[in-house]
Amino acid sequence: MAVVEDDVVVSKRISSSRTQWPIFIALVVVAATIVYPLYFVIITSLRPNADYLQDPFGLPGEWTLENYLRLAETYGVGQAFLNSMFVSITSVALVLVLASLAGFALAKLPVPGTKYITATFVSVMLIPGPVLIIPIYLMLARLDLVGTYWGLILVYVATGLPFATFFLTLSFRGIPDEVIEAARIDGAGFFRIMWSIIAPMGSSGVATLAVLQFLGVWNELIFAFILIPEESMRLLTPTLASIGERFLTDQPLVSAGLFITASIPLILLAFASRYIMQGLQVGVSR
Amino acid sequence: MTSAALTSRVGAASAAPTGGAPAPRKPGGIRRRDRVVGLLAVLPAFLIVVGFMAFPVGFALFISFTKTNGLTYEWRGLDNYIALFNDPIVHQVFLNNLKFLISVPLVIFAALIVSVLLFERVRGWKFFRVIFFLPNVLSVAVIGIMFRNAFGYYGGVNQALAVFGIEPIQFFTNGGTAIAIIILALVWSGFGYQALLLLAGLTSINPAVFEAAAIDGAGWWKRLWYITLPNIRRVLGFVFIINVLYTFSSLFGFVFVMTAGGPGFDTTTIDYLVYLRAFSSTNLGSGAALAVILFLFIGILTLIQNKVFKLQEED
Repeated sequence: MAVVEDDVVVSKRISSSRTQWPIFIALVVVAATIVYPLYFVIITSLRPNADYLQDPFGLPGEWTLENYLRLAETYGVGQAFLNSMFVSITSVALVLVLASLAGFALAKLPVPGTKYITATFVSVMLIPGPVLIIPIYLMLARLDLVGTYWGLILVYVATGLPFATFFLTLSFRGIPDEVIEAARIDGAGFFRIMWSIIAPMGSSGVATLAVLQFLGVWNELIFAFILIPEESMRLLTPTLASIGERFLTDQPLVSAGLFITASIPLILLAFASRYIMQGLQVGVSR
Repeated sequence: MTSAALTSRVGAASAAPTGGAPAPRKPGGIRRRDRVVGLLAVLPAFLIVVGFMAFPVGFALFISFTKTNGLTYEWRGLDNYIALFNDPIVHQVFLNNLKFLISVPLVIFAALIVSVLLFERVRGWKFFRVIFFLPNVLSVAVIGIMFRNAFGYYGGVNQALAVFGIEPIQFFTNGGTAIAIIILALVWSGFGYQALLLLAGLTSINPAVFEAAAIDGAGWWKRLWYITLPNIRRVLGFVFIINVLYTFSSLFGFVFVMTAGGPGFDTTTIDYLVYLRAFSSTNLGSGAALAVILFLFIGILTLIQNKVFKLQEED
């Protein structure tokens, strides 16, 4: 897959240095519209409400972690954070295992009906989420899985798999057949090949996928809200939604909740932006 | 194995159409075993996807023809659909969705500007790329509540207005301003990612075209209008369609955390109405019928998209 950065040199040459400065400033302005609201949220979360109401745009007269402590102790945000972590990590792990198996088979083995299987994965990607709400709820209710994390995880795995399989099939296809052939001649079986060839050689694709899927599950709201009615079991996004609803007058408290929910995605973007941007490329070609 | 055979096989493998199985070349026994192993490896993922994505769509279709509370199903034929088409709330909600379409040109316009700016590759453009992608890693719950807070009675916007002596405005008690703020949240969260999509389109333009134009003395604006835009009309079309699809199928999160569909049904969208009908009414069939209509609508849009793109690829 072609990487975007290839023709940097060419376009550098075209735009003269005269046009560079206005463009840089325009980019800074646009970037500020994204960064400032987040900065505002973070600063607000670190001050008492009275201090916020006095001068919302200045720096806090008093810095405090009180809002975070209150959320964790009184409103169960700490537990919700852990619940979200558990559900996200478990779902992503399951998706990665199942999609790696399917992706390897579809990319490198003569699976009967490959065309139809791939077509199924691609076409279910087009199903809009709202269509699934009612039937999934009724099915899981019948299976006694509403109100359990396993029901929710099952839904996340099912909705994540189509893209994951498609993505890994594409990235495993890039692994040369000769390497696999050689391992086979040495007597390596299916799992041995998966573990010692596909896993290391396809690791970049798997990492990209892991980050994208994690973000998807961590940020999901509808199913997390519908399938876990029990308040003490709530994940982070529904908890945040209810806090946002209840504390309209306490902006610093809500801001702390926002930052807790946003923190993990922001950390991932900071440290794994390479993988996220790679995933973007595939998203385009889709 | 000779190197010639090796290269020819590599060539064949890379030229194979996507989705095709590798060329048969192994003795029958191993090949049969590969087929079985391959099938077993695909099966878990395939069954989960069929069971919990494809089957539910069929199930939703069935539910839409019944009157049900989830336990007993009473066949009603097309009754739910007929009721929906005569329901004034559904009409209003569909109109709401059309109002949200205002966001489409706004997002595309913002994305276009940003992509053209990024395309100049000024110092630090890669860093800007990550910044513009930032809203995309955040949950709609976070973005929605952030905007709801900012425009709330005690929010930043009203505080800023107070500096100029303007009374606080209740943005969310009026359908018009509430929609405007949701649209603003949509634009904010969407333009960066779409700018990167457009940037990928820009990058695929042959740089020689630009060089030639530059040598002929075409200025920056002329190049933008006569070379850049015409060359990315395909990506622009793609971005247009995904935006339309998004406004019809993915506003649930924003509506849920920002307005809960209110005031009245002024900000309720079709996907939010599906949820309302499913969990606050005695007849799930009605919600399912609405979901099926939404599905068909989106399916038709996607088909149109595919057709349009095929045609453009041919010219």
